[in-house]
Amino acid sequence: MKKILLIEDVSDTVELVQRILTARGYEFLHAPDAETGLQSALEFLPDLILLDLGLPDYDGQTVAGWIHNEKTLFSTPLIAFTAWPEETARDMVNSYGFNGYISKPIINVNAFVERVASFIK
Amino acid sequence: MNPLINVDIKLIPASRFTLDELTGIYNQTRVDYMVPMPMNTARLAEYISVYDVDLEHSFVAVQEDVMRGVAMLGVREDRAWITRLGVIPTTRRTGVGEALMAGLLEQAEKLNIQFDMLEVIKNNTPAHTLFLKLGFYEIGELLVMRHSPVVPPIEPVVADAQRLDRHEALTLVGRDRGTQPWTNQSESLFNAQEVSGLHLTLGDGSRGWLVYQRQKFTLTRFIYKTEVGDPVKVAYAFLSHLHHQYPRLDTQIENIQVNDPHLPAFYQMGYVESFRRIEMWRGTPPQSLLVR
Repeated sequence: MKKILLIEDVSDTVELVQRILTARGYEFLHAPDAETGLQSALEFLPDLILLDLGLPDYDGQTVAGWIHNEKTLFSTPLIAFTAWPEETARDMVNSYGFNGYISKPIINVNAFVERVASFIK
Repeated sequence: MNPLINVDIKLIPASRFTLDELTGIYNQTRVDYMVPMPMNTARLAEYISVYDVDLEHSFVAVQEDVMRGVAMLGVREDRAWITRLGVIPTTRRTGVGEALMAGLLEQAEKLNIQFDMLEVIKNNTPAHTLFLKLGFYEIGELLVMRHSPVVPPIEPVVADAQRLDRHEALTLVGRDRGTQPWTNQSESLFNAQEVSGLHLTLGDGSRGWLVYQRQKFTLTRFIYKTEVGDPVKVAYAFLSHLHHQYPRLDTQIENIQVNDPHLPAFYQMGYVESFRRIEMWRGTPPQSLLVR
């Protein structure tokens, strides 16, 4: 079973993503802030990390920088999960070594699932 | 009377709430923002300390014993700053934001302050419109920018580089730097921890300095000056030294004025724009804020 770690602080979003992903057979992991997220990533070595850019302790971009510097996570697909405008999201993806981004809110569940699947090897 | 204005709102001093409660209400007000900027308690505590937020004169809006919004007032000598204004999504358009603003402006007047500052995220039309209605006027656009640690640092520009400890750095910053946005005023650096700096002299005699805060994972709160020479050349040189020294740290800087002559150096160094704010003032800047 593929493991997906969502680092996200908004509980409604967490519940929605959890329902969608567990219904598709993914193992769902969640961390509500950056520090917990990094610890969870190192401990569970997920197959994909979905990372909110606005977290209460450190920004998602800062987390991306940590993950990029962690040898055990370097090859883990890292996806920005953000409501930022497309152009800004693209700039952040390119600058911070993300593998891509998925826009919030989730409007089309099937499109969201397909996008997630496309990043998992 | 506007039927949408809610008359049952009570404004309660923010000092009567715990930091956990203030963090909670603040985050609730931002949950649907495009740039939500949530905080935890430690981050809010640092924010209050660094930016001289006066909780006695800040407010939480309460209605039927439920917190509906929050707004904070920074106070420095003869000037005030309105910040962290937010209303929970289900209560918007009922007059809570305007009541909070009116309350803060009244508090500033009670403190005999005639000059108020704020920033609003560009394209936040409802807030911008409210501020115009309350007598604020636009000063200019401000940039919030980042530099990623994923970008490989370049070799530092050849220069005579001197590291500055906190005391040396803050001596350079001084107090008379003109009408800077609140976050970048000298007091913010004086209040911040882990402040240090760099002074550089280039081969052609150009020279300048950069003062910054180094946090656990980030570099932030830049204040800089070109003493002699081309600001772009000097800025490029001090940024090259900084990022060579701290290649693994993320960098976040905010409220850089769009007409800052150093700005091209930031773009050359790989900084990217996160978003823009509009700075707004109400009243005339006091003498204490003007360059002497």
